[in-house]
Amino acid sequence: MAAIAQTGTAGPRGQSTRRRSTSRWTIMPATYLVAIVALGLTIVPLLLVVVNGFRTNADINGNAAGLPNPWVLGNYTAILKSAAFWQLIGNSALVSVVATALVLVLGTMAALALSQYEFKGREFFYNVFVAGLLFPITAAAVPVYLELQRLGLLDNQFGVAIPEAAFGLPLTMIILRPFLRAIPGELREAALVDGASRFRFFVQILLPLAKPALVTVGLLAFVTTWNQYFLPLLVLQTQSHYTLPLGTYMFQTTYSQNVAGIFAYSAMAMLPALGAFVFAERYIVAGAAGAVKG
Amino acid sequence: MRSSRALAVAALAVATATAAAACSSGSGSSSPSTSTGGSSSSGSSTANVTLTWWNNGTNQPLLGVYQNAIKSFEAANPGITIQNVPIQNETLQKTKIPLALQGNNPPNIYQQWGGGVLAQQVSSGKVANITSDVSSWIGNVAGAQGWAVNGQQYGVPVDLHVVGFWYRKDIFQKVGITVPTTIAQLESDDSKLRAAGYAPIAVGSKDGWPDAFWWESFALRDCSQSTVTSDIAAKNFTDPCFTKATNDLDAFLNTNPFQAGFLGTSSQTGAGSSAGMVASGKAAMELQGDWDPSVMQGVASKADAAKLSSELGWFPFPQTPGSAGSQTAVLGGGDGFSCTGTTAQVTACAKFLQYLDSPAIQDQLVGVGQTGEPVLASQSHAITLPATQTASAYLKTAAYEQLYFDTALPTKPGLNLDAAIANYFAKPSTSTASAILSSPSAP
Amino acid sequence: MSQRTATEAGLGPAAADDSAAAGPLRAHRRRSPKLIKRTELTILLAPGLILFVGFVFVPIIIAAYYSFFSWGGYGPLGPSVGFKNYSFAFHDLYFIHAIEHTLILTAASVVIQGPLSIAIALLLNRKFFGRTFLRMVIFAPYVLPPAVTGIMWNLMLQPNGFVDQVMKSLGLGGLVQEWLANASLTLWVNFVVLTWQYIGFGIVLLLAGLQGVPRELKEAASIDGAGPWEVTRRITLPLLAPTIRIWGFITVIGSLQIFDIVWILTGGGPGESSETIAVYLYTKGVQATDYGYASAIAVVLFAFCFVFALLYQRFALRRDMQGALTREVG
Repeated sequence: MAAIAQTGTAGPRGQSTRRRSTSRWTIMPATYLVAIVALGLTIVPLLLVVVNGFRTNADINGNAAGLPNPWVLGNYTAILKSAAFWQLIGNSALVSVVATALVLVLGTMAALALSQYEFKGREFFYNVFVAGLLFPITAAAVPVYLELQRLGLLDNQFGVAIPEAAFGLPLTMIILRPFLRAIPGELREAALVDGASRFRFFVQILLPLAKPALVTVGLLAFVTTWNQYFLPLLVLQTQSHYTLPLGTYMFQTTYSQNVAGIFAYSAMAMLPALGAFVFAERYIVAGAAGAVKG
Repeated sequence: MRSSRALAVAALAVATATAAAACSSGSGSSSPSTSTGGSSSSGSSTANVTLTWWNNGTNQPLLGVYQNAIKSFEAANPGITIQNVPIQNETLQKTKIPLALQGNNPPNIYQQWGGGVLAQQVSSGKVANITSDVSSWIGNVAGAQGWAVNGQQYGVPVDLHVVGFWYRKDIFQKVGITVPTTIAQLESDDSKLRAAGYAPIAVGSKDGWPDAFWWESFALRDCSQSTVTSDIAAKNFTDPCFTKATNDLDAFLNTNPFQAGFLGTSSQTGAGSSAGMVASGKAAMELQGDWDPSVMQGVASKADAAKLSSELGWFPFPQTPGSAGSQTAVLGGGDGFSCTGTTAQVTACAKFLQYLDSPAIQDQLVGVGQTGEPVLASQSHAITLPATQTASAYLKTAAYEQLYFDTALPTKPGLNLDAAIANYFAKPSTSTASAILSSPSAP
Repeated sequence: MSQRTATEAGLGPAAADDSAAAGPLRAHRRRSPKLIKRTELTILLAPGLILFVGFVFVPIIIAAYYSFFSWGGYGPLGPSVGFKNYSFAFHDLYFIHAIEHTLILTAASVVIQGPLSIAIALLLNRKFFGRTFLRMVIFAPYVLPPAVTGIMWNLMLQPNGFVDQVMKSLGLGGLVQEWLANASLTLWVNFVVLTWQYIGFGIVLLLAGLQGVPRELKEAASIDGAGPWEVTRRITLPLLAPTIRIWGFITVIGSLQIFDIVWILTGGGPGESSETIAVYLYTKGVQATDYGYASAIAVVLFAFCFVFALLYQRFALRRDMQGALTREVG
């Protein structure tokens, strides 16, 4: 393989240029076409939701695919003024922050344990975590619900956050442990020779180095928890405890005539996720890629 | 049971303690050990009580009636605060209430429809026995026995309903048809309506239970009262008359009586619902309960809503001459509420229910078309809608009123029955049809 | 490093460093380094492990236990019914249809989304204007709450809704269907919406995997006379295979448990025509308050995922990636 790579730089230039330019004539337009179609299919529904929030119900009922005529701000302002909406955001934020904190703290500790120490059964414990990937939260939601009932954690944001954190640990371990293991052992030896305790080494040297992976893990945990619907549906009873996806669904079923309002609500419900994504896209995508590379 | 609980609790005690230590913020209520009903705090004295009220009054005019009821009640009873939580009907009935009764904090006043479902809810231990709280006035309330379990009152009806056809007199006149008295006449009316460009009959199949009205109505026509009662109790429709009912329904469905896309139409939500279709004149009639006029008001445009009171008419489910069942029996039920919570809350709840059953509120419920059968017989004079007056008058002549099957049965058999009927509507075949008969007893 | 691990069996290199660095300050410590190690290890590992076991494994055990009872969720546990819940499940046509629907969705996700994602990723794997922006946009649906996606598409697929209007204006009015009401179509309508939500993730994942294919290799091959398709087939795809396998794993596990979108889009209906296993679990278990039965269905769903993962690991993932899902190799 290496030999071929080396000869690749040599070789008759004329022939390869001609070959490459023929393929470029067919592939580049195809690429642009696919890109535009993909872009359109993705963006148009999203834009539709946002734009329809600026219409009246009569307008939408008259023509589902038209532009706002007239443009009304009422739907969006009503949501921004509604305390219930901000309560949803607050609850989702609370649940996501708690779950993410749990995942980061406990996951990092466990990843440190499984990467910085050697002991019998280390791989066993790692595989225990990884096996968790096979137990999807949707299938577990009913027994988790029953468990929460026994523990008295129903109708409680913590009753959502804690299981979410638990289910976020497998992916966390898959990303963090290989990352931490890849950090050279010489670093640790050097730190310890300098007189640092293991704890200081972890906190002052290892974790800062692991920051990209930690950010990825945190973001993935945050987004996954924020978007949950099934578990909150089962666990949360009181309206004031609902999270945003659940609240959006409740709004839709209760005010189903108010189509414009539902569009506006959905647009607002998408904003936090999209906002976080735009802000941290690099990390999320890198995290997904990191999971691939193992 | 104990061992698994110990196991779970042990493992989780450590986990939760660690989690609690690791958590930074925590403003959610983390120990709902007392059912305090709602998010605002409440004292334990009878002086200050807060109640959450779950009902399906999401739209006007019912929403307005409930809100006004709360206002006047709170004014007359300082110290009692009621928080109104309207929830869409299907979500309320099928999801929120069953789940809430599992938890520690069920709503203090919640809607239920009596029958076998209430009996099952009572076994949760959360539903309050209000026999003594209501004994002074329950005697005047019609239909209260449907909300009693083993002779004890666990809920109170607030309005009663009868199921029948709500039709557009103007459309019938335009097409030149009259109110059908037999199924055969209904079928011929349907074909004339279709030829004139109307959807003959609207049905909100998406919600499931409107389909059930059809099967159950045929069952009432084809089966005697005692057979209906006994097979419901047995949770298995073994009598051959039910097979005949299914065949009759099949024959009727083959005449293509419903609107296009009926499987995806909801019954009450939005202008595209079956109620909305009748209100806007796209469909000529609908088989529904007597809450339908009030629902139509909520989903109709202003122009249509104004026409409704004069153009809406009512007739009972047509007869099937020569069959074994009663030709005048009607399907019906009612809305009621039950109480949960501390003693103080239950007392306050019972008081509120008494208020809802008082002439003032009953007049309002009747006035907005929410019901054709107020629980206070004395208030039936308040019915203003001509169609509802017809329904109410007919009820007095009906042979008997049968509670909707899915409410008479306990929760799961009832849901099974509705699902089987809905499935049959979606894919009519001999197998889906026969599945209806044994569906309630599916474990 | 390996030298030290050989001498400090079971303690790890750090321990060796510790004692090596142990100067006069540490000589008087009475606790052995081994015990300190064990303590630290326990403190680090235990909390996460307990949380994980407590909320991921314990529910499975709970589900398995309850599945042998008939219980309405209220009050004390109902009577034991042995395997009746399971035997009923496998005789229940609704459940069997739910399994069929789920398997159809899963198979379609792999067979349709797979080649599509690969093709698109291959096409997009080159420098062109707006490439980063495009990558961001097609990934975006993945981060949306599926519940909101369901609400959005529900509104767009209503009769005379946005989709119908667009089709009419494109002259495809004759193809308009009752997307949410036609019992033979609803499963596929769900599939289309699911694809919209998740295909971006697959494409981005595959693009990331394609970064690992050395450009020089492809150039060398094309210089040696291979056409672009042959380069793809002989070099790119085999090197992309590990990524494809991971994508396949994630997609199948995810598809087996689809709930949010289906529930909000069609509610499993009309009738039961688009019910998945998770939707069935919800209607028959939670709504009908038959928690014994729901637990049995949950166990069956777990079993599906588990068996699939075992088979997948055995046959597909064996040679790939150290650590993540297989035993370490070498």
